[in-house]
Amino acid sequence: MSQALREFLLKKAKLEKLFKWGVRWSLWPVHLVTSCCGVEVAHTSGPGFDAERWGVLPFHTMRQSNVILVEGTITKKMAKVLKMVYEQMPEPKYVIAMGACAVRGGLFWNSYHVVQVDTVVPVDVYIAGCPPTPEAVIRAFIMLHNKIKGQPGPYVEPTKVDLTPYLPPPPKPQPKPMAQQAG
Amino acid sequence: MSAKIPPKCPPPADHPLLEKLKAALGDAILNHGVTPEGHLCLMVPPGKVREVATKLKELGFDHVLSLSAVDYMAEGKFLVTYVYASYLNPDLKNQLLHVRAEIPRNDPKIASIADIYPSADYDERECHEMFGIWFEGNPHMGKRFLLDPDCCIDEKTGKPLYPLRKDFKVPDWGLMG
Ligand code: SF4
Repeated sequence: MSQALREFLLKKAKLEKLFKWGVRWSLWPVHLVTSCCGVEVAHTSGPGFDAERWGVLPFHTMRQSNVILVEGTITKKMAKVLKMVYEQMPEPKYVIAMGACAVRGGLFWNSYHVVQVDTVVPVDVYIAGCPPTPEAVIRAFIMLHNKIKGQPGPYVEPTKVDLTPYLPPPPKPQPKPMAQQAG
Repeated sequence: MSAKIPPKCPPPADHPLLEKLKAALGDAILNHGVTPEGHLCLMVPPGKVREVATKLKELGFDHVLSLSAVDYMAEGKFLVTYVYASYLNPDLKNQLLHVRAEIPRNDPKIASIADIYPSADYDERECHEMFGIWFEGNPHMGKRFLLDPDCCIDEKTGKPLYPLRKDFKVPDWGLMG
């Protein structure tokens, strides 16, 4: 019944756009702070960068959130926890792998106890860096916005700022020195 | 030509603690040295580790800072290193005392000091898991502590493998990982 209602609302009543808009501006990540990358996420949500401007509200329970932000190294023991957390999250859900460790193993590449995140859960966005800056984390969320909108890619438009009132005036063209006349 | 083997104990030198320790420990000291940082290092027989620990506790060393092992594969030996330190005794401030013991690699067994120094318990469990050294008397031997239960197990025999031993083969992820 609820499935039929959902089909009707999304397809017939054309609510899909509204639904996507709602998902896009309420990406609530669950922290999986397994290593040092978690420090940068703290900066991302702090007053300096304030990722809540893009709807990124950090959450600590997986059952009320729809993004999982894997911050750092995943060991074989933690991979089981990651899978369990991922399966408890409601649909639609997205995974962001943050840092060199989560992407390919990073510092602990080819180790006896480290796994890559994409072998455990499907990853939507990768963030490179060790550690990635808060700007990179915000860009990952904007990439996720674009993915939900249906135009994947790092589609970040630069904002044009007119700086001319603050710049020093351009130097005036000097009159050309007269050619010296002999004699 | 054999591989060059690093020294087990640094070269001997004078140290302010040496007199006191020689009087207390007697013939339990096989050898001694001073590390480049100025810490005293003692070599003891593996059978006397508990005796040494009891006497050091009486001298005022109140915790074991670290306990680890070094794998000398060419010689067939493990070198177990205990680092003792003190928080409360003002004479022993800024002093680290290294105590080392050699055990054979094919039968790695040494007495546990976890009941004398409770701070050595976790280190012994980790050392057991990484090197396969059996600390006799510690109730947690033979169990996994930090490693995943499914990780580092020999597929043919089902026995655990010890990842920090020199002959452990790390999985090869290839060029692109
Ligand atoms: S990528 Fe770098 S900063 Fe991030 S968890 Fe790994 S080592 Fe730490």
